[in-house]
Amino acid sequence: MNCRSEVLEVTVEARQVEEAMLALLHTILLHRSTGKFHYKKEGTYSIGTVGTQDIDCDFIDFTFVRVSSEELDRVIRKAVSEFKDALSSDGMGQISLEFYQKKKSRWPFSDECIPWEVWSIKVSVVNLANEQERQICREKVGEKLGEKVINVVEVINRHEYLPKMPTQSEVDNVFDTSLKDVQPYLYKITYQITDSLGTSVSTTMRRLIKDTLAL
Amino acid sequence: MAHFETEYQRLEASYSDSPPGEENLLMHVPEGSKSQWHHIENLDLFFQRVYNLHQKNGFTCMLLGEIFELVQLLFVVGFTVFLANCVDYDVLFANKFVNHTDSSKVTLPDAILPMDVCNAHIRDNAFVIFVLIISGVFWLHRLVKFLYNVCCYWEIRSFYINALKMSMSELPYATWQEVQARIIEIQKEHQICIHKKELTELDIYHRILRFKNYMVAMVNKSLLPVRFRLPVLGDSVFYTRGLKYNFELIFFWGPGSLFENEWSLKQEYKRGGNRLELADRLASRILWIGIANLLLCPVILVWQILYAFFSYTEIIKREPGSLGARCWSLYGRCYLRHFNELDHELMSRLSKGYKAASKYMNCFLSPLLTVVAKNVAFFAGSLLAVLIALTIYDEDVLAVEHVLSSVTLLGVCITVCRSFIPDKHMVFCPEQLLRVILAHIHYMPDHWQGNAHRYETRDQFSQLFQYKAVFILEELLSPVVTPIILIFCLRRKSLEIIDFFRNFTVEVIGVGDTCSFAQMDIRQHGHPAWMSEGKTEASIYQQAEDGKTELSLMHFAITNPHWQPPRETTHFISQLKERVNREAAGASSETHPLSLSESEPRSLVANILAGPSTLGSVHFACDSSLANNAVTGMPGGATALRSLSPISSSLHLRGSLSAAHRVSGFTGRAMTGSGTDARTVSSGSSAWEGQLTSLVLSEYASTEMSIHALYIHELHKQQSRGDLSRHTWHRQESDESSDSIPDEVRSEPNTRSRNFPRSQTFPATLPSPGASSASATGGTNMGQDGEKAQSSSQRRHSGPAADHFGTAGKVVRTAHVPMGGWAEDGKESSRHHEPVQEETSEDELPPHIHKVT
Repeated sequence: MNCRSEVLEVTVEARQVEEAMLALLHTILLHRSTGKFHYKKEGTYSIGTVGTQDIDCDFIDFTFVRVSSEELDRVIRKAVSEFKDALSSDGMGQISLEFYQKKKSRWPFSDECIPWEVWSIKVSVVNLANEQERQICREKVGEKLGEKVINVVEVINRHEYLPKMPTQSEVDNVFDTSLKDVQPYLYKITYQITDSLGTSVSTTMRRLIKDTLAL
Repeated sequence: MAHFETEYQRLEASYSDSPPGEENLLMHVPEGSKSQWHHIENLDLFFQRVYNLHQKNGFTCMLLGEIFELVQLLFVVGFTVFLANCVDYDVLFANKFVNHTDSSKVTLPDAILPMDVCNAHIRDNAFVIFVLIISGVFWLHRLVKFLYNVCCYWEIRSFYINALKMSMSELPYATWQEVQARIIEIQKEHQICIHKKELTELDIYHRILRFKNYMVAMVNKSLLPVRFRLPVLGDSVFYTRGLKYNFELIFFWGPGSLFENEWSLKQEYKRGGNRLELADRLASRILWIGIANLLLCPVILVWQILYAFFSYTEIIKREPGSLGARCWSLYGRCYLRHFNELDHELMSRLSKGYKAASKYMNCFLSPLLTVVAKNVAFFAGSLLAVLIALTIYDEDVLAVEHVLSSVTLLGVCITVCRSFIPDKHMVFCPEQLLRVILAHIHYMPDHWQGNAHRYETRDQFSQLFQYKAVFILEELLSPVVTPIILIFCLRRKSLEIIDFFRNFTVEVIGVGDTCSFAQMDIRQHGHPAWMSEGKTEASIYQQAEDGKTELSLMHFAITNPHWQPPRETTHFISQLKERVNREAAGASSETHPLSLSESEPRSLVANILAGPSTLGSVHFACDSSLANNAVTGMPGGATALRSLSPISSSLHLRGSLSAAHRVSGFTGRAMTGSGTDARTVSSGSSAWEGQLTSLVLSEYASTEMSIHALYIHELHKQQSRGDLSRHTWHRQESDESSDSIPDEVRSEPNTRSRNFPRSQTFPATLPSPGASSASATGGTNMGQDGEKAQSSSQRRHSGPAADHFGTAGKVVRTAHVPMGGWAEDGKESSRHHEPVQEETSEDELPPHIHKVT
């Protein structure tokens, strides 16, 4: 519970799924990334720069800004295309981008990953009959995405909890330092197909075990 | 561009991405996560653990307790198996002679079978192996849980020490309010909850009591099938730990429960669309859990019996009277619990009411039984006396077979008999006793008042306050009865349950899904008959019964004086407080009014004062003694204290105390307390003083709450006299199954003929069935089915009950004898600083009048 959750809902055509998802995920990550930290002596650091890049969509009348980092783009593209492949032609799905921080625990337990913000994007795919409708859809989805982007920016502009800036030893607990040109907060992309957003068997089992242990 | 000779020039390279000289860079200093306590993942569990550790008096106590529990478990099982298999009872009973070469005495080791025989015994007995395996699994489970808990609580311990700055040694002496104040304080710097900048008391309570609030609300709305009408036993309540565990398993945390995790209800249950389908699913889940219970029944039964045997035999042997003692039943605890009331608060309140309650129950000893018991005791006593006398004369008497056992049996017999013989000095004044009880338990069906002397009232009260023996018996029966209740009663209610969770769940930012009743919002859940007339917008379905919302609100506001409720709520609280204060002051200036003019609201508090005025005066001695050291700087408070009557003085004192206490926060005279200035406390010598103050404050809180509870009840009584409203104590099961059960009134023709003044709030009282169902369905269109069923059941009542409603209107009331004589009790109570202990003799009923000066 101790994490914010934001839900975005979009309705798109099957061929637009990938671009729409990329647009939203990249927008969020743009605001949740910083330049690389360069730690100096006496516990100070300087922040590197982050480049941005405009991307035009092919199937949507829309242009979005993303961090110009090929590595980051590759990671996200991979996740999105998996999601797209799993999504049937007129189904529902949800892709979520979860920002978390790690907490070191003592020996018997593995490190805890504690989410602090979760963005869920609910997608429903529609089939359109003719080219004219597709054209309309193309514009409408573009407008909708524009609204969503504004929405995202508004949420991010609110002055709310963010993990504190870490010292050098802790930087891995807060930021993803694996990329060489940009440093987003630790994140995780997961997706679910079908609208039964109920819990899967494994999570139920995990909770059951946890509950019996707890009290 | 260079050939234009202007002053404007291109800025060189300042936009380039390559870092220029490092000295020009903006340098940042990382804050680092200095503590590990920011952003805790599962705050529910976290707060629960913080609370548990506080209640268990620190880490060491808890650890030891758990270790002993584990050892005890091993011992219970091991010893039972040993007794059953490895003892040669023939030797013990001297049926078989042991051949000893050196001495003729039989020693204990003689009676123990050798190892190999023993093992063979165990191996041959399938049942023993079965028991051993089960308890082995159970024990391992406990062990793993224990180890897990140790790790978790170790973390909590370091939270106490590092973040809250409380050492484990001072923890037992700190009140929960102090701990809570510190948690709220550290939220500002550590942000343990990321949704808000600041936590409130209510947030913490909500998280700790999330599921308990649901249970309280469900009992309050009579949703849980715990009341039954049985052929022989009549109206009875069955609610055991096993049943409770199953309810919680089904609703809150079991596989496929309604809750997704600890803090949120599953999405599909929040939507009304497919409620029928969800209800079906819930019903089938209940069925499966019921069947699982049925299958596991033998295992649980064996366990319960073993457990009961080992935990209670010792007590029964030591003091057989304890079976005749009473305890608050599990149902009572649910019925009497406020929303947002922590365990220790409930227990201290109930413990305070314990003495009065048991005295009340003792008023009703059947005279027939008394006569019999007296004579049985006489005969048994004479036999016992002879045997003892003989034994004293010559010890060999004991060696005669069965002499020792008959002495023991006779002793038990006499003790049992004695419990049926009333105290010679007891005075029968149930009405006053009930008042004292009400002051502590805060809830009571309307029709009890004025009927305290009736047997029916006593029977109903005994559902809340049962014999310990009955409690144990119910626990033993529980494994058998639980599956039946689940399969046949709870399953039928699945639709209502689904509706309940949908209608009464609200999502609070920073807390998650909570029971909306627990928000204590008068507007949404207030009951017009309980002071929220005009303020409430709740439909009948939404109103909490018995004034639960209002009383819970007062209770919470009083126990957490620093809580800032929403504006309307603040208005309600301050209005009520002011009224009580004013009338307390007014009443104290009058002489004790013996006769009551009931229409005058002014006499309300006077009425309370004239009745068991004990409440205020109990603490009076303690007040004045503390006034000296605590309120020295407040002469105003001190004089007010002298000039006013006990109750109002305690009210004022509490006010002035907390005022003084706030002042002290500023001046640096360290006094801890539930206040926000908890941080200014230095943990040195002043710590004790501070704790004392906060304890005193919390004691006043309970007194103040008692007064408010009495006041609200009194007002409710006046308001609802002649006013028509509903009654919940015997509201029938709202499902159609109650058709098979005869209605209350029909089944008790004798009651009817005696014209037992049923409460005016008996369900009879809706103006017309049509209107009732219209209002019910109009009020909420979501829970239609349950609602209709309910209104139809109300309709069923309206026939028979209507004819004696007139009698209910004019309940004969006896004038309250003013009770004084509390000075000595006050002195006694001043020794008691722990609020949890059983209260002192505040419920004594001296018939003489003693003016407290």
